[in-house]
Amino acid sequence: MRRLVPLVLACWAAVALTGCSGSTAGPRLTVTGAYVPQPPMADMAAGYLTIVNSGGVDDTLTGVTSAVAAEVTMHSTTDAGQMKAVAAFPIPAHGRLTFRVGANHLMLDGLKRLPQAGETVEFVLRFAKSGQIVVHAPVKPAGGTDQGM
Amino acid sequence: MRSILPADVRRRRVVGGLALVAVGTAVLTSCGSSEDGRSSAATSAASPRAAESGVLRPDRPLPKPRLVLTDENGDRFDLVERTKGRPTLLYFGYTHCPDVCPTTMADVANAVRTLPAAERTKFSVVFVTTDPARDKPKRLKDWLAAFDARFVGLTGDFASVRRAARTVGVSIEPPVKSADGGYTVSHGAEVLAFFPTDDKAHLIFTAGVPARQYAAALPEILKGGTA
Repeated sequence: MRRLVPLVLACWAAVALTGCSGSTAGPRLTVTGAYVPQPPMADMAAGYLTIVNSGGVDDTLTGVTSAVAAEVTMHSTTDAGQMKAVAAFPIPAHGRLTFRVGANHLMLDGLKRLPQAGETVEFVLRFAKSGQIVVHAPVKPAGGTDQGM
Repeated sequence: MRSILPADVRRRRVVGGLALVAVGTAVLTSCGSSEDGRSSAATSAASPRAAESGVLRPDRPLPKPRLVLTDENGDRFDLVERTKGRPTLLYFGYTHCPDVCPTTMADVANAVRTLPAAERTKFSVVFVTTDPARDKPKRLKDWLAAFDARFVGLTGDFASVRRAARTVGVSIEPPVKSADGGYTVSHGAEVLAFFPTDDKAHLIFTAGVPARQYAAALPEILKGGTA
């Protein structure tokens, strides 16, 4: 049930900007499950989401920005448990790109204030072919898959 | 997340003794029972009970690492002495970590919060920084307060932290500052649960274990067993 809100919002955003139906040949992106766990301090936060490409052409996520952060960087997590900044992530045709805890994640630096659970953080995702998609990610209580249990 | 590599064991061989046995145990137990299959190495014949996904139970419980550092109030903190006879959860991480570290601490905090107040206060939750250059006492105090103001944060000499972590099978690397100004720090992938009865770690929670699984294990940790 919790997943529905971001899904609807993200899809709405995708429709508004790129068209979810996307009848033309090319990448066809939808963003689902976006959320930001409420961070412990106002300096940094993480963002998670999944980008699904139902089109027959690859696309690339080239960058993310957010009004709440001075900078949003994209990271992968190495097998050694270390974060590594990544400049761009491919989204294969008929594939997906997932950002989740302990793996790929968005890192929000220089927060203007501490995002509180219940609020929404807006992300602008930039793609090589699909232009921009605006995502409204709800801020959820901190924790893993069962935040707040 | 770094799982415990045989290379660490080889490096430790010169040290020998109990610690080596402990690390060896952790190596074996980390195989084949992690929730997401990351540790997919062949399960050893010596594989211990691992009924709950993501929770490891070493055949030989691990002694608490000898570690004397500075706590979040700036005071000296002797881990063995101060947590003696207390159910204790130990995690190695850092505060400039947006992803796994706060998620793990939040999950632990949420689990502890499910206990009645009288039991909650018996627990020691200790967060040892792997990034002591940036995690000073004040920073640790502010960061931990977001989860539970009773959590203890320890900082100090990195070499001591790394050595202590290794004795319980947690491998961490020194922070590295890259040319582009980035900062790479590693965190442990495990939360160790020490029983109050013998001050040894009987349960190891691997990264990604949900809060409800911690919560389910807390009564056992509190009592020092299921009996």
